Amino acid sequence: MKTLRKRTTTGGQALWTWPPVAFVFVLVVVPLIFVALYSVGLRSNIPGTKTGFDLANWKDFLFGPTNPFRALFWHSMTITVVVSIAVTLAAYPLAYFLSFVARKNRYTLLLLVLAPFFTSFLLRVIAWQAILNENGVVNSFLMWTGLRAADDPVTWLIYSNFAVVLVLFYSWIPFVALPIFVVLENMDRRLLEASEDLGSSRLATFLRVTLPLSLPGVIAGFVFVLIPTTGEFITPLLVGGTDSQLFGNQIQSFFSVSPDWNYGSVLAMTLIIVVLILMLIFGRFLSADLRDTSTRSAR
Amino acid sequence: MRGRISSTVLWIYFIFMVIFLFLPLAVLIVFAFNSGTSPTLPLQGFTTRWFEQAFSNGELVQSLARSALIAVAASLIATFFGIMAALGLSSKAVRGRSLAIGALLLPLVVPYISLAVGLLILLQALKIHHTLLSIAFGHAVIALPFSLLVILPRLRSLDRALVEAARDLGASAASAFRLITLPLLVPALISSSIICFTTSFDEFAIASFLYPSGQPTYPVFLYTGSRSPQTLPQLIAIGTLVIAVSLLIVGLAEFGRRWGERRLEGRVASALAEKARAELPRLDDIVTPV
Repeated sequence: MKTLRKRTTTGGQALWTWPPVAFVFVLVVVPLIFVALYSVGLRSNIPGTKTGFDLANWKDFLFGPTNPFRALFWHSMTITVVVSIAVTLAAYPLAYFLSFVARKNRYTLLLLVLAPFFTSFLLRVIAWQAILNENGVVNSFLMWTGLRAADDPVTWLIYSNFAVVLVLFYSWIPFVALPIFVVLENMDRRLLEASEDLGSSRLATFLRVTLPLSLPGVIAGFVFVLIPTTGEFITPLLVGGTDSQLFGNQIQSFFSVSPDWNYGSVLAMTLIIVVLILMLIFGRFLSADLRDTSTRSAR
Repeated sequence: MRGRISSTVLWIYFIFMVIFLFLPLAVLIVFAFNSGTSPTLPLQGFTTRWFEQAFSNGELVQSLARSALIAVAASLIATFFGIMAALGLSSKAVRGRSLAIGALLLPLVVPYISLAVGLLILLQALKIHHTLLSIAFGHAVIALPFSLLVILPRLRSLDRALVEAARDLGASAASAFRLITLPLLVPALISSSIICFTTSFDEFAIASFLYPSGQPTYPVFLYTGSRSPQTLPQLIAIGTLVIAVSLLIVGLAEFGRRWGERRLEGRVASALAEKARAELPRLDDIVTPV
């Protein structure tokens, strides 16, 4: 019996894991090592520059008094956290609705929520730009209906923090609703019945049973938004103004318009470190379904 | 059991959210056919002029073709490595399994902007010219986790007895894979290809740093074009087509997945299961007393 199992499940098959891992190593880990080298001055993109280990850029970023990039970093993190919390709060009732109220058609309705997410992100941001512009859909509607004078558009709609937060909020809703929905679907409904049978009100049941049991999905959704938003730069490029640009935009400009690859690498590494910290805190909520192989394959 | 009022409130909330989610798409579709030169209200009149202009805009059409080409390549590369990784991970005896999983899911959590500048530096360090292929590789690596997350659960749900039966009947590991595992994976491979394709087709960050000069991908062209009022209506027109195609693909993929699973499970799997069943009593005798 041992030999039978062994032949079919182990041996050479496990080796297939390594070429894809090597692929990721070459195209993700190696580039990030290069970014790290740039950030400490060991390499430079300007031919003929003297290179050597140098923490000056890091010191300037971390400790330089009134460093604009550090201020930008905190501004971006604030925006990121605000967006993540708002999206999670908005997505929870959506997931709850799909799982508990729309019992019969829930998969069709779920697809309805997810569908916009499958269309081009950039196009949706461009659409928002058209909606929020000073002569865009909202403003031209207000002027057309006379609610607003023709020479007095609502200016804070676009090129503002409001626009950046709104568009990010919009983009991430389906992304968060999904993991919460999955957790709610997998919840043992008998626990809810037990709670109500024992005399809890529906609100108490929700607060003391449903909500705590769905927290892994909530945290997964929250982190799913937190991580990509830390490096977001497309949304502020299109709907953000000069003072609502994010950390990602600064990285982009260090590698394009005002090139300083070494300083840019310090900022790019900062994002990687932020993500690593987030993964250390929240990682165990994210990939559970890949890890539980041993129990499943033992059937 | 649940209160009528709270479910009514949730219904209203849901409908409001769906409207909110589809609002930008609706705006694009409406203004694609509006004869005004900028997206403002009131609507001017119906026209298909923007579509005609868009299709005669060589740069726009070429950027679409470029993105499609890159997306096909990225999707093939990612799915190829995705199958490999899923096969390896479905075996129990992987040393350093959690390390491997961590590495394979890494592209999912690395901010694209950091990855993009890293790839830019890498190409510069290796003195590789920017080509469409370098974008395809960059896109393949960010699509790989999606491919793995689609293929692995499907691979795990396959009945091991099928492969074991084939092996007992004398098939080599390679032909058991080719004749049994691979056909049963087809629905997952199709989903994986579609997901990888759309990931690449829509990707901006990496492409904006790696595109060869004068050869922007569609999202890069879209970004630069959206800044000029002259090209915006054309971009909106083409955009509605892209959105229509993506929504069609989503629908077809969902439909095809169900159909494919039924068909494959119906035809191939039942034939194999019949064969396997003949072997099963013997297998059960040996395996179950563990």
